[in-house]
Amino acid sequence: MAAPRDLLTATLHFGRMLRGAGLQPTVSELMDAVRALTMVDLMDRREVYLALRTVLATRVEEFPAFDRCFDAFWKFHAEEGQGLEGLAPSLPTLPPEEEPASAPGAAESKQARVALEAWEETGGEDEEPLEVPGVSAHEVLMDQDFSTFPVEDLDEVARLTVLIARRLARRVSRRRRPTRRAGVLDLRRSIRANMMKGEIIELRRRERRRRKVRLVLLCDVSGSMDLYSRFLLQFLYALQNVFGRVETFTFATRLTRVTDHLKGPSYRLALKRLTEVRDFSGGTRIGDSLQEFNRTWGYLVDRHTIVLLLSDGWDTGEPEVLATEMLALKRRAGRVIWLNPLLGNPSYEPLTRGMAAALPLVDHFAAAHNLASLRDLASHLIIR
Amino acid sequence: MRAEIKKIEEMMEGAEYVTDPAIATSVHLAMTLRKPLLIEGHAGVGKTEVAKVMARMLETNLIRLQCYEGLDAAQALYEWNYPKQILHIKLEETTDHTLAQKEAAIFSEPFLIRRPLLQAISQDSRPPVLLIDEIDRCDQEFEAFLLEVLAEYQVTIPEIGTVKATVPPYVILTSNRSRELSDALRRRCLYLWIDFPGFDKEVRIVVRKVPGVNERLARQISRFMETLRTVRLSKVPGVAETLDWAQALSSLHADHLDEDLVAETLGCVLKDADDMKRFKRELGSGGLKRFVPVEE
Repeated sequence: MAAPRDLLTATLHFGRMLRGAGLQPTVSELMDAVRALTMVDLMDRREVYLALRTVLATRVEEFPAFDRCFDAFWKFHAEEGQGLEGLAPSLPTLPPEEEPASAPGAAESKQARVALEAWEETGGEDEEPLEVPGVSAHEVLMDQDFSTFPVEDLDEVARLTVLIARRLARRVSRRRRPTRRAGVLDLRRSIRANMMKGEIIELRRRERRRRKVRLVLLCDVSGSMDLYSRFLLQFLYALQNVFGRVETFTFATRLTRVTDHLKGPSYRLALKRLTEVRDFSGGTRIGDSLQEFNRTWGYLVDRHTIVLLLSDGWDTGEPEVLATEMLALKRRAGRVIWLNPLLGNPSYEPLTRGMAAALPLVDHFAAAHNLASLRDLASHLIIR
Repeated sequence: MRAEIKKIEEMMEGAEYVTDPAIATSVHLAMTLRKPLLIEGHAGVGKTEVAKVMARMLETNLIRLQCYEGLDAAQALYEWNYPKQILHIKLEETTDHTLAQKEAAIFSEPFLIRRPLLQAISQDSRPPVLLIDEIDRCDQEFEAFLLEVLAEYQVTIPEIGTVKATVPPYVILTSNRSRELSDALRRRCLYLWIDFPGFDKEVRIVVRKVPGVNERLARQISRFMETLRTVRLSKVPGVAETLDWAQALSSLHADHLDEDLVAETLGCVLKDADDMKRFKRELGSGGLKRFVPVEE
């Protein structure tokens, strides 16, 4: 390990490596890291590792990237006689990320789901003319994968999608009103309001302000994903008055913002136009598309934003890029949801390298391959 | 290993807390760098306990701020004792004190209710340990406010003046990750992730905390818990559950696990009806052997 006067240089180099891997150590954190290093045994690998991790990592999701950097960092410093200049070129040759051990946490708000699950029983009052014969046929439609519908039925299913979304939207707004509590007693304001009265007569209460959730959709439109993307869009746009703002992007090999395309009066036409912006160069570059999104459109995402990413995870790019960009996205967003229609297939395992790299960084992983799964999705579109 | 960290490990063990190098290193750095330590981890892995042990180690007060939705500055920092003020005004009505005198009287120290944050920075003896528990439960507005207090360790009360900590408190924040915390808060803190304990650590915890359990049973319990946590459960049991269970088994004078015993005492470990069902299905297919290999 470097001598104390080199500690600063070494730490700064390490900081640069971390930035390359998607972490964002600040200068003051790096200064703390230098101080921390003077308080541990520099010959003890584990201790140096733990100290640096305590100071420089800010969430458990960063640990795999941190570990990779630290391995390279330590290896470099363990080999004596090498100058510090050698550190930079060693950056691109970081060992590949190992298989993530943990699946995404699935602690979801059960109450919301229970409330929404009842939509079918209570939603009977608005009978829009649906050309879907019989209740049982309706049930079947709910669970049928979008890709298995014959082409002539697709319009019908799309209408059903919108119908479900509208009912859900109404439920959400109805549910809010009665649960609005009277609020906490605000003594400060009560006193002020009653100053002239000599007694406390009028009580003032305060209520917490609620902000509408914003949505950012990133839809894979390569190959078979196109169909699922359309249904998701259809669904979410019908729900859109529940949200503060909906921004939509499509990607295959590059990213396209389609929010404005979807603003037209005829939604159906707009959806058709989506096909025009599609690129056919083949393959999906999720990581690169995300990178572009983060770089150019990152400002759209804050902690009141839910990011929905629909893709099968077949990334032809480097999984490290995807992991880095997912981390950047997670850091900003209130919630990151990955929708993978292949998950609807019971035998599917998310083993593609891209999927494996992204999964630990996702708050919720769901299918969105049929009407039932779209309906279930609605309960996850909240930030607590 | 650095002697100070070793010492912290020993002190934590001495304070009945089974620790590991990661926890000891973080606590060491939190105490020497004087930065807040953010501890995340699943429910029941002993996050809160770290603060308690730290207070015991440092022989200082533990001041706890339990966060909840809707928590605001009035409940966290200070508030005027309004009922007492009103009463005072009533009682003073007949006296001929000037308005300024009356005002000065009701906005003075005896009418101030010190909430945990103010308490933590207005200690004049040794710095206390301030535990801000379950920070993820409070609102984002409060989080921003907290950030301000943690940056300056000073609070301005308009009627009295500025209170500044002579020695900043040791601050421990815990989060169950029910909500994403702001980057700014994370940056301000050191970070510690406490995972479920490994097998050996859990055995040590059980043996240490539940004296009535013998080594063999402790190993069986720990192995069982280790396997159970790999089953897909909606409420994964933490160490607290392990200890409850060990305690229950100990009071039943059990010295090893068998299927009936597990079935009878399962409520200590699994606290969700669906989880129970799932577990019973697993037990039905693999038997207890699936959870506790025979050799143990």
